[in-house]
Amino acid sequence: MNTHDLPDRFDPWPQGIEPDVPVPGYTNTWTHTPSQPPQRRPVSRTEATGPLDLQRKLPCDEANLAQLAPGKIAIGQLMHLAGRILDEDGRPVRGAVVELWQANAAGRYYNPIDQRDAPLDPNFVGNGRVRTDEEGRYAFFTIKPGAYPVPVKETWWRPPHIHFSILGPSSLSRLVTQMYFPGDPLNEFDRILHATPDAAARGRLIARHLPPAEVGDQWLGFTHDIVLRGRHATPQTP
Amino acid sequence: MPADAPLPPTSQETIGPFFPRTLFREGDNDLTRVASDAAPTGRGEAILLRGQVTREGGFPCLNMILEAWQADAGGRFDHPLDPERHLADPDFLGWGRAWTDEDGQFEFRTVLPGGYTDGTGRRAPHVNLTAMGAGLMRRVLTTAFFPDFPAENLTDPVLALLPEHLRGRLVAHPDGEAEGLRVFRFDIRLRGSVDEETPFFED
Ligand SMILES: [Fe+3]
Repeated sequence: MNTHDLPDRFDPWPQGIEPDVPVPGYTNTWTHTPSQPPQRRPVSRTEATGPLDLQRKLPCDEANLAQLAPGKIAIGQLMHLAGRILDEDGRPVRGAVVELWQANAAGRYYNPIDQRDAPLDPNFVGNGRVRTDEEGRYAFFTIKPGAYPVPVKETWWRPPHIHFSILGPSSLSRLVTQMYFPGDPLNEFDRILHATPDAAARGRLIARHLPPAEVGDQWLGFTHDIVLRGRHATPQTP
Repeated sequence: MPADAPLPPTSQETIGPFFPRTLFREGDNDLTRVASDAAPTGRGEAILLRGQVTREGGFPCLNMILEAWQADAGGRFDHPLDPERHLADPDFLGWGRAWTDEDGQFEFRTVLPGGYTDGTGRRAPHVNLTAMGAGLMRRVLTTAFFPDFPAENLTDPVLALLPEHLRGRLVAHPDGEAEGLRVFRFDIRLRGSVDEETPFFED
């Protein structure tokens, strides 16, 4: 990898894309969100760089969440989810670490913190980690997650969603986000999705369904691209 | 789309309370090893960087995810944007991830970083930290400096952005020794009064 592959210009977040905080009705945000605005700082080398060789620390070989072992298939609608990780110039981010976690088909996480009275699936842990290929592509085989009520006082139902964590080539391009499903009636009521003010930005958090002709007829198909911050100050040499 | 029009970045959203413990492995919070089965680097002084994450009222935050990124003991990064990459420590990763326990406590094992000079000026030795968790829709970013370098801290171009009375909040405190290493404490207050709250930076 040479410098031409790496973004070194980080503009501030465009308006309306970052969630507005704290979020009305999401009580924890009122005790956790800093009250002071964050300080702008120049992008020094520490911010522009990031770990490039993380796969030794974080093994990136978990792409199949739906089948832990031969014959042990998770309950739910099998789903193939794939897409690309891009930078703000639309160039593929190669070698990015993509982590994904989600609830099972009953909307329960395999996590001791999730104490909700919904069934656990012995064949579903619900997390994976892969590295993007030369075209910035990632792919997971999983099941469609269920909805769940948020464990806060004045609850609401979170629509089915997938959590994503992406470690790109710089520490400023680090991104944690969520992905939603098109047409779900709960999307409209989700306080987390609607914390993002810009409607087009919210729309970009929703995956696109792919018909069986494109992904096969044994599982649902979805595609979802994610854009990390960062541009190239140096024009690309053809 | 015109050639210069950038793609808008994907919005960040909260990491939530359920970031899987199954994605953690022993040694993820150890920056001194490039892999869990690799030997730690022999360069620089190994240290422990510890702290507590609290929210409004001083209550501890459980299951916050923290990530650290820093230069090696010589102030270099194993990254193409560092002109001295060829001199970077091949046995030092510079990245680690920790999560807080019931008492909001986290710990990183790392080496005392070196400073460097770039387009922004002379950077004092520092560790960039980011914290994510339930209740945080956007991650927060801050930087830990070290009391060993008072002269360097005085001229650091990032630390200088803060009002003088807040700069000390970004300098870790010596906190004894453990496992034969010097311990530095860097507590993070997410929300509080202006004087309580940790200064954070835009991402
Ligand atoms: Fe969730």
